[in-house]
Order: sequence, then structure tokens, then C-alpha cells
Amino acid sequence: MTRQLITLIVNGDRYQVPVAPHETLLDVIRDQVALTGTKRGCTSGACGVCTVQGEDGRAVLSCLALAIEWDNRPVTTIEGVAGEDELHPVQKAFLEYGAVQCGACTPGLIMTAKALLDENPDPDEEAINEALAGALCRCTGHIKVKIAVREAIKAMVADAAAEDSHGV
Amino acid sequence: MQLPLFEYHRPASLDEALATLGTAGSSLAVLGGGTDLLINLKLRLERPRALLSVRELPELAGVSVDAAGTLRIGAGERLTDLATHPLLVARYPGLAQAIRAVGSRHVRNMATLGGNLCLPTRCWYTNQSEGWRGSQLPCWKTEGQVCHVIKTASNCRAIHSADSVPALIALDARLLLRSSQGERELPLADFYRDDGIENNVLAPGELVIAVLVPPARLRSVFVKAAARTGLDYGYATLAGALGGSNRAPKSLLLVAGSVGTMPMVLHQSARIILADGLTEASIEAAADAARDDLGEVTNLFTPPGYKKRLVRGLVRRVLNELRRQKLPAAD
Ligand SMILES: Cc1cc2nc3c(=O)[nH]c(=O)nc-3n(C[C@H](O)[C@H](O)[C@H](O)COP(=O)(O)OP(=O)(O)OC[C@H]3O[C@@H](n4cnc5c(N)ncnc54)[C@H](O)[C@@H]3O)c2cc1C
Ligand code: FES
Ligand code: FES
Repeated sequence: MTRQLITLIVNGDRYQVPVAPHETLLDVIRDQVALTGTKRGCTSGACGVCTVQGEDGRAVLSCLALAIEWDNRPVTTIEGVAGEDELHPVQKAFLEYGAVQCGACTPGLIMTAKALLDENPDPDEEAINEALAGALCRCTGHIKVKIAVREAIKAMVADAAAEDSHGV
Repeated sequence: MQLPLFEYHRPASLDEALATLGTAGSSLAVLGGGTDLLINLKLRLERPRALLSVRELPELAGVSVDAAGTLRIGAGERLTDLATHPLLVARYPGLAQAIRAVGSRHVRNMATLGGNLCLPTRCWYTNQSEGWRGSQLPCWKTEGQVCHVIKTASNCRAIHSADSVPALIALDARLLLRSSQGERELPLADFYRDDGIENNVLAPGELVIAVLVPPARLRSVFVKAAARTGLDYGYATLAGALGGSNRAPKSLLLVAGSVGTMPMVLHQSARIILADGLTEASIEAAADAARDDLGEVTNLFTPPGYKKRLVRGLVRRVLNELRRQKLPAAD
């Protein structure tokens, strides 16, 4: 089995990693880049705990992506979501509104919600449901998660308005 | 689950892809978005020596309409882009609905149309890990001689459940295939076979290049009944496309999916509507007639008799929605 050296760009950092064709983006992020926030669940596309964001900001299931296809393409994982000294509004809302129990699904759900809000800052009920349907929680169900996402939207809209009024 | 070892090729051009495919034969698997193929490899349902990635080929990209009004959708297009494509949403609403019904948003961000068109059939026995399968006798699909679902079946009855397909067949779509020997075009309906194992007529060395939808102003609808509509395969789906008015319909195709080894066209139900127009009474009669059209269905994830009752309801829903829908605007 021959390995090929690729450059993974994770959360803005570049990593030179040797990968074999059969290694998934999930395996390489967890086992070689050693960022274990991205979780390994069903490994077959059905649970969403392995969700990361691709270069276009869309949610990608890293368990169904071949690492070799991600040479030089930026990826965002849960470790890249918080700011310097502040959590992302989606993270804050998950904490504040109790959308976390065991936490196994949390990175995937936060990446899913962030991918949605990066694309559409003001999603309606249907768009929220559509996005969240691909990432499952077996502890809380989706009710608290949806509350947190709605509150995150409110906070982000308020932040944007405050920035505007400061003429930034 | 881990992937088995394989080599990986990413050809730079379609010609290079077809040449590689022509010489390697069945030891090579074509990789689109990988949302189904990679799972089947993890389950050890296929054992190719190498994967050939076709998703980025420029010849497989693009959504366009030619001078005659034929819509062309490249096989490498992502389902998320198609589900929200303004042209599809406005002119082919049933197709946009069907594409949006595939898996989850996550899956559609990765999946291609070509992969959906070539989706293998599924069954609760085969789509399991190798160890799980090993605990029972092999079935028709895994080189045995039984069916664990329909005991009397003399061939594999696994279910074809690619959601874009009924919607495209209802629009009378054609498929463009190419190999290093040349190009051929065929009606999408003729691409599928009544066999759970070899469920399409893609020849060795051939790639799906694009889907072509002939010009026509049609109303179109797709509905899906599933355990969780945001993620699951359908128990049954139904697509309908209607030309003409409610009183004097000129054409109607009703196509059911997820009921058997291939999509099923409901001829009887359509004939009733074409003769009587869309009325409350004719819709009821068409829904009742669906049962005869369906013939043998595979109640694989559902109790006996369930799918026929379900399709009856879906026919009623599709026809009622078609009746209410406005004809898409001309260009
Ligand atoms: C959780 C989950 C839920 C799903 N739910 C649904 C659902 O509800 N409905 C549904 O329809 N599907 C569903 N799928 C299956 C799958 O995601 C879709 O069918 C998808 O469209 C497959 O496209 P792909 O590009 O990922 O295909 P791939 O996995 O890359 O390929 C699928 C097959 O097509 C062949 N192929 C791909 N491109 C070409 C080409 N251009 N020419 C020739 N052969 C080609 C491959 O060799 C392979 O046999 C689901 C998958 C998951 C993981
Ligand atoms: S681990 Fe990727 S979807 Fe479950
Ligand atoms: S918090 Fe346990 S799975 Fe979601």
C-alpha cells in the first residue's frame, strides 16, 4: 500500500500527512492531525457526528469523504469554531439552553447548525429542520437543539445590528 | 467500519477516464460523491481493485438548456445545487422535490446525480456488515440461492430507491452514456431492469454523462413516504407529470419508486385521468387502479400489503397536487 503526502488545511493550519487512498477524512483528522472533536459514529452517513465544513462552508460527512480528495482544500472542524477568547454564538446557545447531554452528537450538531447559518443567517423553521435532520441526538432529541439554534440566530442578528450601528 | 484497501485514480479528462475504464473492466469502481459506494465497500459488498473518481470531470458538470429547449443536467452535479437550482424549482418542481428528498442535507452536499441514477438496489439482508451476513445463508445477491425476504422468489427482489429516478422518468428523460467506443442515448425508463442484482443496463466501460429532459410545459409533483422524511429511504414514492389542462389532460406519467427492483409506471391510473380529466371521482378511480398496475411489490421494510395501500394514497395526493399546481411559466 503506497501512501501519498497531502496537505490538509484544518482550521487554517496546514498539516503534511501521508495518506492511503482508503483512509477517510474522519480517520486522518482524528488519528493523524489528532483533532478528536470530530466524532466517529455510524461511519455510514446516517448520524452526522462526523460533520465538518468544506471550503464552501457546506456540511460534509467526513466518514464518507476520502482524505486523498481533500489535498489543499480548507476544512473547518469543531476546534476551529470558537473565536480567540469567546465561544461561537451557536456554542454559547447550546450551553445556555441545555442542548447537550452526553455530548457525543454535539460537535456534529454545532457544525451542522453553523454550516446552515453561514449560508443562510435567517433560516425559517423548514430550513432548520432540513439541516438538522442529518445529524442525530439520542439523548435530548432535537427540541432543545432547535431552541438553541433559534436563540443563536437571535444573538447573531443582534450582534450584526450592534456592529452596523457602530458603523463598522 | 473501515474501508478495504484500493487504489485511487482521478483522471484529468473524460477521455482519460473512459480509456482507464475501458481497459480495467470490473476491477474498477466509478466514484461519484461516494455516499453509497463507500458504504458498500465498508460492508464488503463490492471489492474493486481501484476507484475512478469522476465527480470533477468538466464534461460531467453543468445545467443548461439548448436552443430546442432540452434541459441537460451533468451527472457530476451535486444534489444540493440541483435541489435549489432556480430553473429546476421553477420549471421542473417535481424533479427539484425528488432531489431534495434524497437522504439528508449533508448527504446531498456530497452526492451526485450520476450516483443517484446508478444507485444499487437495497435489502435488509444484504445491506449489513459481512459478519452479520455470514450468520445466515447467502442470498441471490451474495451468490446464494435463497431470498430471505420473499421466500418464493426465484431472483433477487431488492429495492430500487433512488428518488430522482421516478421524477425524471415522469418527465420522459433520456440518459446520455459514453464509453471509449462511443456515445449512446436511451430513455431513462429503459435503463433499469427487473432484477435486484444487475438493476441497470450500463455496459462495462460506460459512464453516465448527463440526463436530458425533452422540452414540454408540464406540471410535476413528487411525494415520498418514509419513516423520517429528512433522512430515510422511502417506503414508497410517487412522481407525476401532467401536460394540458385539468379538464383535458394531454399527457400524464405516474411513476412509483421504492416498491420493487425498478421504478414502476402506473399505466392504468394514468389512462383513467387521460380519459376523464382530473376530477374528484377520476382521482379516486385512478388511486384504486394503482393496485393492478403495481403487480408484485417488495414489502421489505413494511408489513404485507402495506405498500399497495400506501401507493393508493400517494396517487391521490400527487393527482390532487397536480390539479392545484399552476402550469410553469413559458421561458
Ligand atoms: C444516510 C443516507 C441516506 C440516504 N437516503 C437516500 C434517499 O432517501 N434516496 C436516495 O435516492 N438515496 C439515498 N441515499 C443514497 C445516496 O446518498 C444517493 O443515492 C446519492 O445520490 C448517490 O450519489 P453519489 O454521487 O454519492 O454516488 P456514489 O456512491 O459515488 O455512487 C453510487 C453508484 O453509482 C455509480 N456511479 C456514480 N457516478 C457514476 C457515473 N457518472 N457513471 C456511472 N456510474 C456512476 C457508482 O459506481 C456506484 O455504483 C442515502 C445515503 C445515505 C448515506
Ligand atoms: S459517523 Fe459520519 S455520519 Fe455517522
Ligand atoms: S447529547 Fe447525547 S447524543 Fe446528543
